[in-house]
Amino acid sequence: MTTPDREDEMTPDMVLAMDYALGALERAERRAVETRLRSDPAFRALVADWQAQLAPLDGETPPVPVPDSVWQGIAAEIAPVPRRAAAETPKPGLWQSLALWRSLAFAGTAAAVIAIAQVNPPAPPPGAPPQLLVASLAGADGKPLLAAAYDPLRGSVVLTPATQRDDAGKSPELWVIEGDKPPRSLGVIDIHGPNSHALAAKQLTGLQPGATLAISIEPLGGSKTGLPTGPVVATGKLSAV
Amino acid sequence: MASEGAAELAALLARAADGDQAAFQDFYNRTSAKLFGIILRILAERGEAEDVLQEVYVTVWRKAAEFDAARASPVTWVATIARNRAIDRLRARAVRPQAPMEDAIDMADTSPNAEQLLAASGEAALVHRALASLEPRHAAAIRSCYFEGVTYETLAEREGVPVGTLKSWVRRGLIRMKAGLSAAEGSA
Repeated sequence: MTTPDREDEMTPDMVLAMDYALGALERAERRAVETRLRSDPAFRALVADWQAQLAPLDGETPPVPVPDSVWQGIAAEIAPVPRRAAAETPKPGLWQSLALWRSLAFAGTAAAVIAIAQVNPPAPPPGAPPQLLVASLAGADGKPLLAAAYDPLRGSVVLTPATQRDDAGKSPELWVIEGDKPPRSLGVIDIHGPNSHALAAKQLTGLQPGATLAISIEPLGGSKTGLPTGPVVATGKLSAV
Repeated sequence: MASEGAAELAALLARAADGDQAAFQDFYNRTSAKLFGIILRILAERGEAEDVLQEVYVTVWRKAAEFDAARASPVTWVATIARNRAIDRLRARAVRPQAPMEDAIDMADTSPNAEQLLAASGEAALVHRALASLEPRHAAAIRSCYFEGVTYETLAEREGVPVGTLKSWVRRGLIRMKAGLSAAEGSA
C-alpha cells in the first residue's frame, strides 16, 4: 500500500486509519471507526497496514508475569460451551457449518429479504434427510421482528425483517442461548450496510432445534461484557420444519 | 514479528479454533506475559489490566477461527486485540485524570532501554531506527500514543502545544517513519 510522503496528500481515510492504528482517537471516534471496519474491506486494509507497520514496536515492551488467577478466569469462561459438533454424534438438524449474516437493514420495506450468505454446505449425514431450521424472532409484544432460516442443502441463511426499527447510534447484537447456558454472542449486526458476513463456523456448530436466538440493542460495537447489556428486542426458538 | 515461533503459534490457534483447550492454554502460556506488558503500559492499574487480559483471551478463543496467518502474525493479531481492548477500557474511564502529574512525566519517557533493544527482533530494530531519525519530540509523541494509548488531546495538553500541532507532528512523523521503513526493506 503506497502512502503519500506528505500528510496533505493523504485522503481523510488514510489519516483516520493511521490515527486509529496508533491508538490516538477519542472514544466516539474509535467506535465510529470500528463500526466501519466491519463493513468496509478497503478501509480495513488501510488500518491493517498501519497495524503491521507499528507492531514491531511491541518488541520493546517487556513481558510481565501474569498471576495464575487470570488463566483460571479464562478457563471458567471457555469451558461450558461445547465447541464442536464434530465431537458429538452427528444428528440431522445440526447447523453443521453455517455462515451467517452480520448485517441487516431493518429500515426499508417490510418483508424484504436482505441477506443471503453462501457457504460451502457440508454433506448431510448419510441417510439423514436435510433439515431446514427456522426461527421467527419476535418482540415482547409478540410482533415478529425478523425471520431467519438456514437451508443446509443450499448452505444459505435467509433473513427476512418483518418490521422496521431505528437504532441509530446503537448496535443490535445476535445471541444464541442453548439450554440454561449463558447467552453466546454471534456478533454485532450492522444495520447500515447491506453486506453479508460469514461467521466462524465453530460459533454455529451444534446449534439444534430448541436453541433460542435473541437480539439485544447494545452500545455501538456490541456488548463489552460478553453478555447482553441492553434491551432484548426479539427472541425466537429454532425449530426444524 | 515473524519468528520461528509464529508457525507454531498459528498451529495452536488453529487447534483452539477446533475447540482444543489444551492447545489454547499452550498459546496463552506463550503469549500472555507479552500481552500483559502491553496492557499494563496502557492501563497502569494491575487489577484492571488483569481483567482486560482475561477478556482478550476469551475473545481470542471465540475468534480463533478468524485468524488469518496470511494477513498477520499470531502475536501481532492478539497484541492488536489487546491494545484495542486496553485503549477501550482507558477511554471508558470517567473524566478523571488518567494519572497524577508526576506519573505522567514518568510515563512520558517511553524510550526503550538498551537491554530491551538488544532483545528486540530485527524488525523492531528497524522501526526503532526509523523513529530515531525523526525529530525527538515527534518520535516521543508517537511513542506516547502507541504505548500509553493517550489521545491527541491529552498529549497536546501534556506537551503544552495546540492539538493541531501535535497531530501534525505525529502524522508527519509516521509518514516519514513508514517511508524510511519501505526504503530499508527495499535495500535489504
